[in-house]
Amino acid sequence: MGYTFQFGTVLGYWPQFLEGAWLTVKLSAFAMTFGLAVGILCALARSYGPKPLAWAAAVYVEFIRNTPFLIQLYFVFFALPNAGIRLDPTKAALLAMTINLGAYSTEIVRAGLESIPAGQIEAGRALGLNRLQIIRFIVLLPAIKAVYPALTSQFILVLLGSSIVSAIAAEELTAFANTLNMQTFRSFEIYAIVTLIYIALAFGFRAVFAGVHAVLFPQRAG
Amino acid sequence: MLRDFGLNEVWFLVLAARWTLALSAVAFVGGGVVGLLLAVARISPWRWLRVAVSGWIQVVQATPMLMLLLLFYFGINMFGVRIDAWTAAAVAFTIGTSAYLADIWRGCIQAVPQGQWEAAKALALNFRLTLALIVIPQAVRMALPPTVGYMVQVVKGTSLAALIGFTELAKAGAQMNTITFEPVRVFGTVSLLYFAMCFPLSMLARRLERKLHVGSLRVQAL
Amino acid sequence: MRFRLTRWAGLLAPALALALSAFGPDKAQAQTPDEIIKRGKVVIAIDTTVPPYGMLDSSNQPAGIDIDVANLIGKQLKVPVEFVTVNSPGRIPALLSNRVDMVIAIFSITPERALQVAFSIPYAGQSAVLIAPKTTSIKTPDELKNLKVGVTRGALEDGALTAMNVPGMQLLRFDDGPSTVQAMLSGQIDAMGGGDYGEIYLRKGSKGEEYEQKFPLRAAHFGIGIRRGNPELLQWLNTFVYSIKNTGELDAISRKWRNGAPMIPLPVF
Repeated sequence: MGYTFQFGTVLGYWPQFLEGAWLTVKLSAFAMTFGLAVGILCALARSYGPKPLAWAAAVYVEFIRNTPFLIQLYFVFFALPNAGIRLDPTKAALLAMTINLGAYSTEIVRAGLESIPAGQIEAGRALGLNRLQIIRFIVLLPAIKAVYPALTSQFILVLLGSSIVSAIAAEELTAFANTLNMQTFRSFEIYAIVTLIYIALAFGFRAVFAGVHAVLFPQRAG
Repeated sequence: MLRDFGLNEVWFLVLAARWTLALSAVAFVGGGVVGLLLAVARISPWRWLRVAVSGWIQVVQATPMLMLLLLFYFGINMFGVRIDAWTAAAVAFTIGTSAYLADIWRGCIQAVPQGQWEAAKALALNFRLTLALIVIPQAVRMALPPTVGYMVQVVKGTSLAALIGFTELAKAGAQMNTITFEPVRVFGTVSLLYFAMCFPLSMLARRLERKLHVGSLRVQAL
Repeated sequence: MRFRLTRWAGLLAPALALALSAFGPDKAQAQTPDEIIKRGKVVIAIDTTVPPYGMLDSSNQPAGIDIDVANLIGKQLKVPVEFVTVNSPGRIPALLSNRVDMVIAIFSITPERALQVAFSIPYAGQSAVLIAPKTTSIKTPDELKNLKVGVTRGALEDGALTAMNVPGMQLLRFDDGPSTVQAMLSGQIDAMGGGDYGEIYLRKGSKGEEYEQKFPLRAAHFGIGIRRGNPELLQWLNTFVYSIKNTGELDAISRKWRNGAPMIPLPVF
């Protein structure tokens, strides 16, 4: 049935696409940073913390990992105000993304922590390192190195998952695509272009992760 | 017209969870069949096939699931092609799921020691027979825990079908919220139903992992 | 290592055929009223998240103004009605993909949409209005300055408020009406655009807060949407709408669902 592609019409909106993509990048980058921080803290709590703390972290991880992100998003935006916490769409989206990634990265970092042999920690003590130094150099960095691929895969899923936050009116890339779709009805062109932008963003983030890996964990000669 | 959120309403959500399960089954079976073909193609003797399939998997893993759904539902419709929400969701979830399962399974197939391949070659088995009789039976053991774990993602991922108007659990929750306006109770119930479907799978994945001693592989596969 | 492509193709081909069959054009599509009668059912797209036009009743069956109008069509054609649930962006695709014979789902008549589908004469209409808590004093669009206003993406109120372009006003677009209402109830927005009885629904969920209509934004009329190039069905639907206006059936539906309010005067084209 005669369907004429009108990529030109849709591409005319490139400044808005760019603006939406920029918010997507910012949201994802902040969520990755905060989510990893939450993940490290909860993983340490689960592995080395006192019982109640370890237990609380476990409940958090299981509940988040076994419910959909969309529902978590609805909760943060529509139900938290009942408790007096009122966040605008972008902040609510960031909070939901952080909570979600926090749970996944807890599990990933914990797997890394468990791969550190107890002997290494004892060796660190023998060398006279203090608690913080041991955690930083002997436990955390090698643990993260061990799980770096899993961690970055999860980061990419956060970027891709950010496409859902348009449901609470955050004006990121997908939200703009949906608005444009209702105005122009050029669905195929719009979603094809936005898909390409997401693919480009994902590959861009992967390149950044490779760079970060090279800086954090330099290959030693020999 | 407007009513309270009572037992009748909870039952409506429980019934809607059937569609979540049906959609998950379709996604898992479709994604599994295509994923196995992709996984085998990734280790096939031909370089061009390996490169093409690996590129395809990388691109799909860089595409938001929501975009695949929107493209297939709204985009393809524009050409006058009949595609209902069911088919669009089935095709989109098959494409998405297959890319992740292919990666998990390829890892497992490759984890089978090279010596097994060589032994099969010595017995004059061809690629297909080696795969079917020697490699896959050993790979399945390793693949079981991460595959069950990934099923959790599949079940939760089906909630995205709500955004193209497919009435599964998440959409039923949204409908129920329209007539009750009790978001905490409605989405709380929806969360619990998802949890009830996903948590047993998570536990099963963890038990299998412990039983089969393949914990280290999960990190790579995720 | 022998690896025969043909065998793998043998495996792939049925799977591919199965996948492609899902994309094939639907031969059974009915175009004229006669074909619908001959087929023995009329397939109508509705939206069950837009009270009082479409929602679920206490036994979780579709109900509302749109559903009553659809059932009258079935009664006139003497065929059962099969409902297909769509959301607002899914209405045009449902028609273009031959999935349904017609769309009755608060489908506002606009020239942009009429480029893709054909509309019957209006069977209903409503004004999009600005709704806010009674305690908020807003009399003119200018007073929306520095306020957060929620709308449903692509709906009438979205168009009207976007066009007003009030400096400092923050427009939040939600995917559906319920989300917009929920945002209002959660206090996430200061005001919202919505249907001209939207405050009835706000009252149910509110905790003591009273809402009222502040000023009208834009009026729209709803038509029955069908595929273009289908003059016989369009003519029949126009005749049908004319008839239910004359017999008082449309008025009765309006009174039933809109707190006793009669149907507003409807233009014809």
